[in-house]
Amino acid sequence: MANKQAKEFVVLGIESSCDETSVAVLVVKNKQFFIKSNIVSSQIKIHAPFGGVVPEIAARHHVQNFLPVLKEALAQAQYSPKKIDLIAVTSGPGLITSLLVGAQAAKTLSYAWQKPLIGVNHIKAHISANFLQPVKFPAIALIVSGGHTELILVKSRQNFKKVGQTRDDAAGEAFDKVAKILGLGYPGGPIVSEQALNGNRSAFNFPRPMLQDNNLDFSFSGLKTSVLYLVNKEPLSSQLVNGQSKNQLIADLCASFQQAAVDVLVGKTIKAALKYRAKAVILAGGVAANKSLRQQLGEAVAQKLTAQYLVPEFSLCTDNAAMIAIAGYEEYQKTSINKLKTTWQNLVVEANWEIPSL
Amino acid sequence: MKIISLNDKQTLAFGKKFAQTLRGGEVLALAGELGSGKTVFAKGLALGLAVEKMVTSPTFVLMKVYSGQLKNRAVKLAHLDAYRLNEGGQLLEIGLCDFLGKPDCITVIEWAERVKDILPAKVIWLRFKLGSTEKQRQIIVEK
Repeated sequence: MANKQAKEFVVLGIESSCDETSVAVLVVKNKQFFIKSNIVSSQIKIHAPFGGVVPEIAARHHVQNFLPVLKEALAQAQYSPKKIDLIAVTSGPGLITSLLVGAQAAKTLSYAWQKPLIGVNHIKAHISANFLQPVKFPAIALIVSGGHTELILVKSRQNFKKVGQTRDDAAGEAFDKVAKILGLGYPGGPIVSEQALNGNRSAFNFPRPMLQDNNLDFSFSGLKTSVLYLVNKEPLSSQLVNGQSKNQLIADLCASFQQAAVDVLVGKTIKAALKYRAKAVILAGGVAANKSLRQQLGEAVAQKLTAQYLVPEFSLCTDNAAMIAIAGYEEYQKTSINKLKTTWQNLVVEANWEIPSL
Repeated sequence: MKIISLNDKQTLAFGKKFAQTLRGGEVLALAGELGSGKTVFAKGLALGLAVEKMVTSPTFVLMKVYSGQLKNRAVKLAHLDAYRLNEGGQLLEIGLCDFLGKPDCITVIEWAERVKDILPAKVIWLRFKLGSTEKQRQIIVEK
């Protein structure tokens, strides 16, 4: 029998869909992924005064940050450009101006280094962050972030179908808006969940929108409006201005709101997992960093299903290029290196790129 | 013109009906606080324009563009949200110029009062207000 030494396959991942500039070096060996470097430069402090990402400012910073981040990623991984087999870049969904910077950089590198290039869907990449470990299929993935709330049926590492989504606001957006209503600043997710730690989650009974509906869609707009109505009404409105227990009140509001959001996210994910007989439940996206959600979804999976529960470590929940490299490698399995050699000529970014519905 | 909507469903139906009064090229400026029904109206508008995709909040990406139909003609619906902005330059930089006022496009801008600097002279204002009950809304149309 020939002694075949497994060859390394090296992927350079590039991510710039929103306000993080990231480059990663991923090595694939014996179908296993090894992250050699994953450098992320976040602009979150730059955008905080604006209460959200400002596209044009984000794009300028991507331009500034890209080369230093690329150099650091290669240096930390100790890989020269020569060793790279494939370049993978986020080509949607995201902010168009941000996407364009990463895509243009990737096209330029592809042409200059003569390396094949592949465009990657950012949502698939969030899910793919979980493929560092063995996953049982079919899996149900809940993607929650500032811009997305979706349930994806994952039949294999390359087969993704949308089975549910928000009909209005994304979950992360609801956190941001509630933080703004309560005057807590931006970004709302981490602020609200920190406040919630000191609050009573059953102090206020907020609605659980669409939880009992016979579908897999979400709605967070009404939940946000309920918070608004409550704090505008007496006696809460005056207590929030000059009440003695103002801080406790805010903590209770945050805890109760967060619990309502988590209940809906967990409830719908379990419903989807049961419907599609999922053998694994995956949590992904920026809001996957929310400790209550991570914990309560895990508990629900253990209680109600016989399934694996997968959630990436914190650094792989938020936007990063390692997940783009993993998704790029999987996508490449469906095509050929030869076809990808000319991608730099025609790669198109798509701000609203959706995963097809089942 | 002043409309009293008793709930989400009526706001949605009003949006759908409003679409029938359009000819293409209109810019609809929606003003009103959080939860006053602006996105629900935009969803109704999309229904009236036979948009097949689900219309979701554009707060995060600032603009979403949909394909639809108006009187058997293909139109685009550009749905924008200026909630996070203080001036309109950002919207121009992400490509609003490609759609604003074009005869084959209906532009609907939520929180339009925040980006008055980039609105064309001819806009239809729709002002949304919370009503006397939790579900009731007031919509004032200024042409």
